[in-house]
Amino acid sequence: MSTVALTSARRIAWRRRRRSAAAAWRQYRSNRAGMVGLVVLVLFGLLALAAPLLADHAGLAAVNSTQNPVWASPSEFHPLGTDHLGRSVWTQFVWGSRISLLIGLTATVLAMVIGTLVGIVSGFFGGRIGGVLMRITEWFLVIPFLPLAIVLAAVLGPSVQSIILVIGITSWPATARVIRAQVLTVKERLYVDRSRALGASSGHLMGRHIMPNIAPLILANTTLTVPIAILSETTLSFLGLGDPTRPSWGKMLEEAFAAGALSEHAWWYYVPPGLGVMLVVLAFVLCGNALEEILDPRLREQRA
Amino acid sequence: MSARFVTGKVLGSLVTLFFVICFNFFLFRVVEGDPVASLFRGRNLTVTQREALTKQFGLDGSTGEQFVRYLEQTAHLNLGRSYATNQPVSKEIASKAWATIALVGISTLLSTVFGVLIGIAAAWRRRTKADYTATTFTMATYAMPDFWLGMLLLSFFAVTLGWFPVGGIEDASSNATGVAHLADQAKHLFLPCLTLTLAYLGEYALVMRSSLLDTMREDYLVLARAKGMREILVRNRHAVPNALLPVVTIIAINFGFVLSGAIAVEAIFSWPGLGLATYDALNGPDLPMLQGLFLLFSAAVIVFNLLADLLYASLDPRVRTA
Amino acid sequence: MRGRGRILAGALACAAATVAIAVTTASGQEGAKPLTLTVGLQQDLDSANPTVGVTVAAYEFWNLQYATLTDKSSKDFSPIPGLASSWTSSPDKRTWTYKLRPGLKWSDGQPLTSEDVAYTINRARREQWLNYSQTVANITATTPDPQTVVLKSSVSDPKLPVMDVYILPKHVWSKYDKNAIGKFDGVTSVGSGPYTLDRVQKGQFWTLKANPSYWGGKPRIDRVVFRKFNNGDAMVSALRKGQLDAVENVPATAYLQLQKEKGITTLQGQQGGFDEFAMNGGDGLKKPNPALLDRRVRVAIAHAIDKKTIVNRVLRGLGTPADTISPSANPSWMPKLAPNQRFDFNLNEAKQILDQAGYKDTNGDGIREMPGGGKPLRLRYAVRQESADSQPTAEFITGWLKDIGIATTEKTYSDSQLTEVIGKGDYDLFVWGWTPFVDPDPMMSYFTCDQVSQDPKNPTNYYNDANWCDKTYSAMYKQQNTELDPAKRKQIVQQMLTRFYESATYVPLYYQGDLQAYRTDKYTGWIRQPAETGPVLFNNSSQTYANLKPVAATSSSSGGGGGGSGTIIAIVIVAVAVLGGLGLVLARRRSADERE
Repeated sequence: MSTVALTSARRIAWRRRRRSAAAAWRQYRSNRAGMVGLVVLVLFGLLALAAPLLADHAGLAAVNSTQNPVWASPSEFHPLGTDHLGRSVWTQFVWGSRISLLIGLTATVLAMVIGTLVGIVSGFFGGRIGGVLMRITEWFLVIPFLPLAIVLAAVLGPSVQSIILVIGITSWPATARVIRAQVLTVKERLYVDRSRALGASSGHLMGRHIMPNIAPLILANTTLTVPIAILSETTLSFLGLGDPTRPSWGKMLEEAFAAGALSEHAWWYYVPPGLGVMLVVLAFVLCGNALEEILDPRLREQRA
Repeated sequence: MSARFVTGKVLGSLVTLFFVICFNFFLFRVVEGDPVASLFRGRNLTVTQREALTKQFGLDGSTGEQFVRYLEQTAHLNLGRSYATNQPVSKEIASKAWATIALVGISTLLSTVFGVLIGIAAAWRRRTKADYTATTFTMATYAMPDFWLGMLLLSFFAVTLGWFPVGGIEDASSNATGVAHLADQAKHLFLPCLTLTLAYLGEYALVMRSSLLDTMREDYLVLARAKGMREILVRNRHAVPNALLPVVTIIAINFGFVLSGAIAVEAIFSWPGLGLATYDALNGPDLPMLQGLFLLFSAAVIVFNLLADLLYASLDPRVRTA
Repeated sequence: MRGRGRILAGALACAAATVAIAVTTASGQEGAKPLTLTVGLQQDLDSANPTVGVTVAAYEFWNLQYATLTDKSSKDFSPIPGLASSWTSSPDKRTWTYKLRPGLKWSDGQPLTSEDVAYTINRARREQWLNYSQTVANITATTPDPQTVVLKSSVSDPKLPVMDVYILPKHVWSKYDKNAIGKFDGVTSVGSGPYTLDRVQKGQFWTLKANPSYWGGKPRIDRVVFRKFNNGDAMVSALRKGQLDAVENVPATAYLQLQKEKGITTLQGQQGGFDEFAMNGGDGLKKPNPALLDRRVRVAIAHAIDKKTIVNRVLRGLGTPADTISPSANPSWMPKLAPNQRFDFNLNEAKQILDQAGYKDTNGDGIREMPGGGKPLRLRYAVRQESADSQPTAEFITGWLKDIGIATTEKTYSDSQLTEVIGKGDYDLFVWGWTPFVDPDPMMSYFTCDQVSQDPKNPTNYYNDANWCDKTYSAMYKQQNTELDPAKRKQIVQQMLTRFYESATYVPLYYQGDLQAYRTDKYTGWIRQPAETGPVLFNNSSQTYANLKPVAATSSSSGGGGGGSGTIIAIVIVAVAVLGGLGLVLARRRSADERE
């Protein structure tokens, strides 16, 4: 009797989840801004994935561009023109999208993992552990991002890994704070106390009750952290702290500025990368907002 | 606000500041190579000269000795000498600080005022075309890298049209004084200020808008409306001041961060402030300079965060007991 | 209430108008000015004290304020009379007697005698003054009479009779003892050169005024102003507008544009500066990748570097592909390499050399291995963070190396970190540069065995960043160091340079000049040192300043940019004021509404 009941219960739970997911998707679809954002993201994702098809990787090397004219404006040979070393800007843009997106996403994942862990633990346990973790979080929040990034890049040496580390380390506190606040709210709910009264362990509580309730919040927060990560990478690369051997949109802006693209009127070198960043960031923000709007009424319902 | 609350917050900030100071020292020690040898490359230094210079740069003694000396000097605001100019770092920072404060101060003021106004207007006209335009505009400026926006403005208004100078704070070869001098500086300030204003007003507008929307639904407003108060008064007398709370704290916090965030923008416009100093110091790197700037930026953020906390606590009684 | 608002708006508008008028008129002001030469540069005067400062800007200032015993000919740097009008030597050429010109005075009227000369030289030697010790380390000065100085060298010094250390006034500098002199900022107007210091505004400008007591006569230009710019483009724009007469270190992009402009002369002032691609010679504290110890590999690498492309693409054509290193600002010290001596750019030849030497790619990954299939040829390439050219140069070089089957791992270093890394021998490849002095001795000394890092505790006390020790070279160095016959000395130096080149440890990339520009409409008489190829300012003798004279008698028209933009500002202010006034008016109206 009990085995049959348990299986049904699980299946019922999954069915419920699927239905709510479908409902969420429907709601998302109706949000026009969110859909625009999603479409843009998919486009850029495809651009990054299809890089080898769209531009020859060898075109990134200056030694392979010695036959090209320098500072050439867009033409049929070079859709976005060439830079000060004769390299095709389109090639850099396409391959650079990979690095920019990769760093943005990976750094966000890092920040989310750390932030969520710290947020859940500090929110759930409270007391001394929670207090210490909160102190650490606040301390990290207070260190200005750029100087810390500069120092870390100087210590670790500029590379893709160090940039991911830098952004991850400076972005997790904001997430931790938000997650902690939500955990505190959820903790106060009756069924958590009831479970505890029934003798449930902390792990069980965190995994079974808290996590599912904050999972949507984590998702929304992630979508809103990615833009910060991408903007940070762009700024860091612009300041020369990025990986010098890989193209990225921020590096394109740095090279354009250093090589005097402004006085050369070479708009094709500095407009596309910035535009790319802006569109991707905007897309993530729109998606994130749409997600939050879906979550909002639900959260509000539960608060009552 | 109880004295205990304030003391607690202040003490906490001081502890954080001390940590930052220590952190500063050890982090940069890891990065340091041999600045004397590299700065005097090719000068055939004698042993005596080398020793004298090493002492001058404060690089003699063990790490422990150097740390103690560093703490002592920092307490006296002696932040060493810049490798690039050989001038005291504190003097360099002091001379460049006001340019950044002017730029950041004015742009913060403008972005706050305009951001809040746009936020209010957008919330008020929720879901109308005006709201959508405003929201899209603010989101777009928020999504742009601020220095990229600066590059666009610079290339269009300065390089192409020539309406504004290409960089710097003033026309270095003119002997203008008084009002003409100020006007010259204002002309140079315009584009970098516009850049920072646009870059930050988006955040304020969006936060103000959502905060106001939340507030407008609150119960006490329902009561006010029930009492028959006109909507505009409800908005201005009750909703806005309460909605301003989160904006105010964000502004305070941001001010600390904008000081260091203006690095890229100052670089684009060659605005001779702390940001450009950081940018130049990165090309070296001029470690004493970076160390000093890092300390200043951290201290600024700590101080402004403290002020924001105290401000928020004084404005919102609900927080004090937390 | 409405009335008050209107009055306020009106008052604001009036104030704005007044401001507008003030701005427009102020920007058009000009007074009568003495003849002024204004020079723009991006470097600050770090210290006016010749025993402390190190920047090029500082050297230029000392060249102008402090006369030296001998000057250097602008043609070929040979010694010509300065404070000393003539000199003779003892037969062993170790004792030189200089006769000072009669009636020499400091700019404050005090007489300039041999006392000042001896004081400067002896004190500089005793206290090991920076910028002096290299020249006077072995020299003792005595003063038989106020017009005569006798310099005695304890070694055979081929540099003598050149004595170009800045002679300081004893009556000013004796106030600062050994411990105080390092802290003295050097701001004093007592000098003996063509100009003396008038005002210093740190980080902005320093002005000099003509010295009537200068032995060469008071210069025609009354004032020289050095203006520091933070931004190269602003500096060039000021040159274009006529607010600057000359500019030092023109940014490359601007230089290319200025070349086409009338009324402005551009020049690449060669002073022997060069950049090199350096490989770890293997004689230092640590060994590099074993492949680099094989000269054939180094030669192959040398053949894989296209200096012309680097000059064209990275330097935009503003440089000359290099052969040997340049040991002196005087180009005549360099040997002419025969065509078969030179390592020309030839990727096929490079590949052949490596194949024949046994470095083949045995596992098909595109990277060659040591003979017998050992360690792969993956070299560490150190990129300099501080140099803007470093990164693109690295791109090219690593690209060519990849083509011939050598992989590289790049790492970026600050200069101070790289100095340490090189001292420890912990690298394979890097690109850096040097600027030589006039005498080749210092540059040649850097590549001797003595200068290879030997002390692991102080690895940076040594200058040999090639980590190359060749006994023959070092022996030849000692020879030329005391060889008094100029022709013989030159021969030895040229042999040393060829030998160093052939070791293929250093691959000199290009000679790079100082990019300068000056207006031709105001002054004439610009002197290049060395003749035809050198810079006109910030060179070794700074002779241009005293030589300049006006082209025509008309004064320059400056402040051209002030009027127009001042008007725009005025309009903006008025507009804002009017809008502000309107805003006030409207606000009042609304509150009036509320009160009802």
